[in-house]
Amino acid sequence: MIPVIGLALGIIAGLVFKPTVPTDLQPYLPIAIVAALDAVIGALRALGERRFNDRVFVVSFISNVVIAAFMVYLGDQLGVGSQLSTGVVVVLGIRIFANAAAIRRRIFHA
Amino acid sequence: MAQPETPEQVDGLLEKIADTALDDDYYVVRSGPDEQSRDFNTVLTGVVFAVFALLVAIAAIQTRSDRPATEQERTTLINDVDSRKESLARMEDTADSLRDEVATLKSSVVGFDKSYEELRLLASERPATGPGVRVSASSPPVGGGVITDRDLQTLVNGFWYAGAEAVAVNGKRIGPLTSIRTAGGVIKVNYQPIGEPFELSVIGDPDTLKDRFLQTAVGRAWEERRKDAGVRFDVARSDDLTLEATPKARLAVQHAKAIEGDA
Repeated sequence: MIPVIGLALGIIAGLVFKPTVPTDLQPYLPIAIVAALDAVIGALRALGERRFNDRVFVVSFISNVVIAAFMVYLGDQLGVGSQLSTGVVVVLGIRIFANAAAIRRRIFHA
Repeated sequence: MAQPETPEQVDGLLEKIADTALDDDYYVVRSGPDEQSRDFNTVLTGVVFAVFALLVAIAAIQTRSDRPATEQERTTLINDVDSRKESLARMEDTADSLRDEVATLKSSVVGFDKSYEELRLLASERPATGPGVRVSASSPPVGGGVITDRDLQTLVNGFWYAGAEAVAVNGKRIGPLTSIRTAGGVIKVNYQPIGEPFELSVIGDPDTLKDRFLQTAVGRAWEERRKDAGVRFDVARSDDLTLEATPKARLAVQHAKAIEGDA
């Protein structure tokens, strides 16, 4: 129940306060969201497999977001920003699809 | 020669990523005092979810609020392009009309200054056309009385006296700097050789030109030569003569200068 409330609160806070992202951070927001989505899907799969652990979830969430943003930042500094973000998105996308497929199998098969 | 020991090693990178999609930490099971909570319904999870939702909301709002600006920029650019295209078309039209104007002005300049054009005509700088007479003369087939450069000079001079306005000998226009002379046994007009029969084209009053010429001393002399020496000499009226201009090289003035103020 609490996670659902948190989800709703986050959306409402975003809609109400409409915080603006600093211009310097704007390029990293989309990639951070993809990374966060990966962590969330992974958490849902772990929940289905009864392996969920809130500390692991928190750590994986934060590290995913930070590392993804940092990689894009590094790429920008090296002049390969778009290639690196493509790589990050590919890897995270595969993970998201694999985890989503696992969830799907658990729900519809077992 | 190394044999793959585990299936994991033959898997490609992408398969490996897919296989380890779930973080390994979830599989670690600790027991004892450090046992982890398997509870999903915790405040910590809620907070993370809230942060996630906030991130998504911020990004979505940002993208939405950016869109009008981008759209506006696009519209501005499109308008800009359109207006530039319009002004380009307008300028091309202007260039066309100006070109037409230049052509019209150019054609109107020719013949604008009557006296200038007349001078150019007199100076044999322009081709001339008009009525006049055709004169053909050739030496007698046998005996003396060959037509010389001096004969041609007097002939041309006689026609000037008779009222000629433009004269050409064998197509060579007589200009202000033209000479008729013999060089190496060949008669030359404008330094270009001509040969018999000599054909003069003379523009002038076709009604009086012939009579006035024949009344002059030169005319009478030529008539006599025709009768006595067998020189062929024939003056025929022509209503449509065309004389070309003197070559530019024979019109260049290098030393003579007009006197200032003497209009």
